[in-house]
Amino acid sequence: MNNKAILSAPASNRMWQQYQSEKPQRLLPIGASLVDQRLQGGIAQDGLHEFFGADQSDGTAAAAFALLIALRLPQAETHILWVSGDKERQALGRLYAAGLVQMGADPARLLLVQAADMRDALRAAADGIRSKAAGAVILEAQGHARLIDLTSTRRLVLAAREAGVLALLVRGDAVPMPSAATTRWQVRSAPSRPLPGNAPGFATFDIDLLRHRGGIAPFAARVTWDHGDRIFHDAPLSGGLSTGSAGGTTDPELRRQSA
Amino acid sequence: MRLVACDTAALGLGMTPGMTLADARARVPDLAVFDHDPQADRQLLEWLADGCERYTPSCALDPPQGLILDISGCAHIFGGTEAALARDLKMRLRRNGLTARIALGATPDSARARARFGVRTISALPLQALDCDAKVHAALQRAGLKTIGDLASRPRAAFAARFGKDYGRTLARLLEEEDPRITPRRAAPVIQVALNFAEPVARTQDVLAAITDLARQSAILLQERGEGGRRFEICLFRSDGHVARLAVDTGTPTRDAALLDRLFGERIDTLSDPLDPGFGYDMIQMTVPRSERLAHIQAGLESKVDAKAENAALIDRLSVRLGPGRIRHFHTGNSHIPERAALERPAQAGPPSAVWPTTRVQEPQARPFRLFDPPQPVEVTALLPDGPPRQFRWRRHVHLVQYVEGPERIAAEWWRRPAGHEPGRGGLTRDYYRVEDSEGRRFWLFRHGLYGEGGDPRWYLHGLFA
Repeated sequence: MNNKAILSAPASNRMWQQYQSEKPQRLLPIGASLVDQRLQGGIAQDGLHEFFGADQSDGTAAAAFALLIALRLPQAETHILWVSGDKERQALGRLYAAGLVQMGADPARLLLVQAADMRDALRAAADGIRSKAAGAVILEAQGHARLIDLTSTRRLVLAAREAGVLALLVRGDAVPMPSAATTRWQVRSAPSRPLPGNAPGFATFDIDLLRHRGGIAPFAARVTWDHGDRIFHDAPLSGGLSTGSAGGTTDPELRRQSA
Repeated sequence: MRLVACDTAALGLGMTPGMTLADARARVPDLAVFDHDPQADRQLLEWLADGCERYTPSCALDPPQGLILDISGCAHIFGGTEAALARDLKMRLRRNGLTARIALGATPDSARARARFGVRTISALPLQALDCDAKVHAALQRAGLKTIGDLASRPRAAFAARFGKDYGRTLARLLEEEDPRITPRRAAPVIQVALNFAEPVARTQDVLAAITDLARQSAILLQERGEGGRRFEICLFRSDGHVARLAVDTGTPTRDAALLDRLFGERIDTLSDPLDPGFGYDMIQMTVPRSERLAHIQAGLESKVDAKAENAALIDRLSVRLGPGRIRHFHTGNSHIPERAALERPAQAGPPSAVWPTTRVQEPQARPFRLFDPPQPVEVTALLPDGPPRQFRWRRHVHLVQYVEGPERIAAEWWRRPAGHEPGRGGLTRDYYRVEDSEGRRFWLFRHGLYGEGGDPRWYLHGLFA
């Protein structure tokens, strides 16, 4: 098979319809009780989830949030494949293992793939999902990516469902486009609760559920990560000084529709 | 300027190598002359040697115009006689427009001398065949000795005493009494299997089918040795003499024919310039240059997926497709300088570091999620020259600092610098600050140089926190 065949072969419609009629099998609770309650248990462990940075510079927050979601998998399964391109590394810097350890990740369980372009990255991610070598596959795409469309995401969704692998798509500095993802989130880094001495606190995120295939209504929440227990906790929205856009007024899709 | 080499026609006109160009032109005014290009000669010789590897894995260059092949035990493919092999080689060279003189000998020296002087028996070789100084040649000639046969019939000891030890050894090699062995261009592979085709194959599917067959053969041979290959090479011998090489490396020793099949399929798919089969390949060869011990594995009764094997297979496949350097593991670096504390190495080179320093649970992370390498320069406003930052500008955006922690002081590695132990030459100290801006983004900034360490200290953004 050559590159073209893999990227352009239409995903079987029958498989897709069958997929749509099925309920997700396994749910992965993220830990924050308010969020899990709204999600009716958690996010699909064998689905594709999209994380958009709320703002131009929230790509890092989206990437970090995706990684932390992957860390929610049981320890034995958390081999993580991180696929990105030359462009992402250039714009966002490299993943720093000494920092990952402190987030609760085990760098020895992370495999990095740096593809030259999005075509290679998509193929590598699809291969990673199908091979079942990793419990989670994270694909990171910064900026506009023409190749990430309905067809390619549908292929990833089907592969993830079949392999039972958690597939996460990180989109920094990008406008949401039609996709087949199971859920779509918007992530923004939120003010943390400061530590004594006015020091920055634990990693905190404002997350907005923009879309859910199961029909769960969009909502916004603020969560903070506990790296010791590898779990998210609810954070009070009024904890920081500025509450930012927790209400979801800067939803890029709404913005796009109104434009 | 002098002539370096002449073709047959030129030799017929009385030209000889070494003649001055002016002389040659005087005799034959319309002489066609080309610049001497030793590099191109060498390349042609290498190209020929590549093609000759269809006969034997051990092939050596004999510059400027010779090749020596060690064909011991290689003639069976050609009906068992060395002469048939030599005929095949001669025919192929002629097809490429090359005139070759081929001779067989028990030692490299004797074969070379026979080819050079076109003599069948060694004793008939002229004295020049002996690889010695001109002085030795002159002395022997003066003694009335004309052929190697004359030398062979004389007592050696006396000659060795007169001309030195080298003389005796050179003569022994020429007389096939001592075999010095050639140094082949490549180390002999662990395993080599080949398929010959009566009709050249040209379609990619046929090539892949042949590779499948070869992979199966080498898997059996590897199994017998209790080994697995780490590197596999395919040589595609085109009927016009050109050779294409493909290689795949694996992270763990393997003898899985299906895996090899997939890896080579991947390799052919991702070639930057596709295979050009020309008029087809008449021989395809698989070699295993590198192998390691691999115990026999008994397949489990239940077909449980072995995560480790899956992982290794994925690494190999992606490494073949994207290049080994693009698939990486994390490794600890032996340094306290942040950018050198964590490194990335190709995943095929070995397993990642297993032990990493951790922090206390009650504290937020002190090291960032992402690191900029090199650090990004920022403009910082601070209240005091050695104080924490109050606001900074990065990528044309001003960030107001809300919370700050620091400094964490990281000194330079003065022991890595020449004269680093002298005051002021050990490198600049960095003061790191963990800051959060008014929008809730967390950054890792540092001031390069202490106040008073010299110059105006600059600020850099080194990383981003989650």
